[in-house]
Amino acid sequence: MDNIYQPDLMEVVETQQQTSDVKLVKLRFRDPDRAKQFSFRVGQFGIFSAFGYGESTFNICSSSNWKDHIEFCFRRVGRVTEGLWRLEPGDTMGFRGPYGNGYPMEEWRGKDLIFLGGGIAMPPIRCAVWKALENRQEFGNISVVYGARTTGDLVFKDELDEWARRERTRIVQCVDPGGETPDWKGEVGFVPSVFERAKIAAGANSIVLVIGPPIMIKVTMKLLTAMGVPAGNVYTSLENRMKCGVGKCGRCNAGPAYVCKDGPVFSIEQLNAIPLDY
Amino acid sequence: MSEIIAQDALRACVSEWLAAGKCVAGPRQVSWNRVLYSYLKKPEELLLDSEARPVNSIKEFFFPKHEKLYGYKIEGNDVRLTETAEALPEQVILGGRPCDAAALPILDHVFNWDYKDSQYNARRAAATIVTIACATHDDACFCTSVGLAPTAESGSDALLVPFGDGSYEVRCLTEKGKALFAGKTEQSDKTAPAHAGPEKKIDAAKVEAFARDHFEDPFWKEHALACLGCGVCAYNCPTCHCFDIVDEGNAAGGERARNWDSCQFSLFTQHASGHNPRASQFNRQRQRVYHKFRIYPEKFGETLCTGCGACTRNCPAGLGILGIATEISHG
Repeated sequence: MDNIYQPDLMEVVETQQQTSDVKLVKLRFRDPDRAKQFSFRVGQFGIFSAFGYGESTFNICSSSNWKDHIEFCFRRVGRVTEGLWRLEPGDTMGFRGPYGNGYPMEEWRGKDLIFLGGGIAMPPIRCAVWKALENRQEFGNISVVYGARTTGDLVFKDELDEWARRERTRIVQCVDPGGETPDWKGEVGFVPSVFERAKIAAGANSIVLVIGPPIMIKVTMKLLTAMGVPAGNVYTSLENRMKCGVGKCGRCNAGPAYVCKDGPVFSIEQLNAIPLDY
Repeated sequence: MSEIIAQDALRACVSEWLAAGKCVAGPRQVSWNRVLYSYLKKPEELLLDSEARPVNSIKEFFFPKHEKLYGYKIEGNDVRLTETAEALPEQVILGGRPCDAAALPILDHVFNWDYKDSQYNARRAAATIVTIACATHDDACFCTSVGLAPTAESGSDALLVPFGDGSYEVRCLTEKGKALFAGKTEQSDKTAPAHAGPEKKIDAAKVEAFARDHFEDPFWKEHALACLGCGVCAYNCPTCHCFDIVDEGNAAGGERARNWDSCQFSLFTQHASGHNPRASQFNRQRQRVYHKFRIYPEKFGETLCTGCGACTRNCPAGLGILGIATEISHG
């Protein structure tokens, strides 16, 4: 019997604590045949589980070019993430996926890419940034505006510095007002206003990936419209709560769209056509 | 010519099925004030009274309230998964109403689009559904408004239409139904009368259009004010199928299981961040109507409602699909 809810067993290869409450976990299929056969598109998600605690949904935040393992990143906020937090290298955890549509990066070829996100929105941006950097000749300028509440909440700090050293990239980091430390060299402010101040060129030839709450998407879209970026060029990844990931459990719909199957990646043009239910 | 069966002969069938090791479920008086579809231990337990209306629906024999998806054993660093290898016994689901049975082909869509739910399908395959046509209806019934009728055949393997004298016309609709009643019926030249059912009460197309075009209408707020968010509408509904997946275990092992859930609960959609796309009860009431009349028809071509009236009949606050849909249809 082919049980669609049964996960693959994964070995935890490495964990990296990113902040006081955010961890990155690298994992590998226990079954080598499954590992060989597995592939995914950046922007897709998985259902990750700690046995005895439960399952939770996260973006697969590694690049799809990395064949050795996959990665996900989470904030410790509840029971399942507490279970995931306790995992150590060598432990076994569960993974189901990949699910969802992923980013249409083949349609982004030849365009400038702009990534905007705050806090724990970094993982679903990070996989696309790496994928773009690994296929550097296919894309124009790559800009990232990334913010967190405080300097201590910024994740993937080393990688942000690494991206900044690559060609034709611009990385702007910011923290919310009051979240800065005396030695903070980045910007202070919220992501949309920092993006505006940074004067990153954007227009009809730009693709923007903005990950954040509905209000941030709304404010950002207003700026982008003024800059001439059409809503069809602006994407987000919705984070509606899920259980099954495969279109059965009935909770992730945003209006008529099942986020698990029709998404999680939507253009703002698509979102404009459905009710605000995310 | 028709096939007929008397109540006594039907009970004798139940005896025979039970003796053959089949699980038989039907309406049963489980307490002085409550009739439920539940498994029968003996044929006398089967309640054959057209006025007695079970509170639940037959969906739980295909999509149980609590179902183990798989087990696991934790041994040091290792985890071993254990399949739910229990072989499903053959089931006869007897005495459901046409509005119960009609829900199953509707649910088949969601459990089989793209990813196929093997446990649901195994239960479907192992069951024969013998429905009894309705001879009466009550104020909450509205099957005729959603394309069904007291003698609707959708989802049934056999339909028993009561003559009113304790016997039934047996209409075998599938090979399973034929096999179940082979040699059990008598030939007759009578055909059972069809009950007309409730008058048409709602216009599903109007409800669909309203759900689509009036998402932000104050109507939803006004309606939801009375809702307690108890979820009884979803639990008794033959088509509601939302579920939660939880771990039940400890450091040595356990199981991952699915439990019924309801879109009426505030935690249903709440993000880990605290953000909730459906933060108020009106968002959640709207979702139930929206899912049934707008999303499901668009995705699967069918209304996710069979007009059984269970939500209306059982709501402690006097709400339910019928009231809301009636107001939309005639308002």
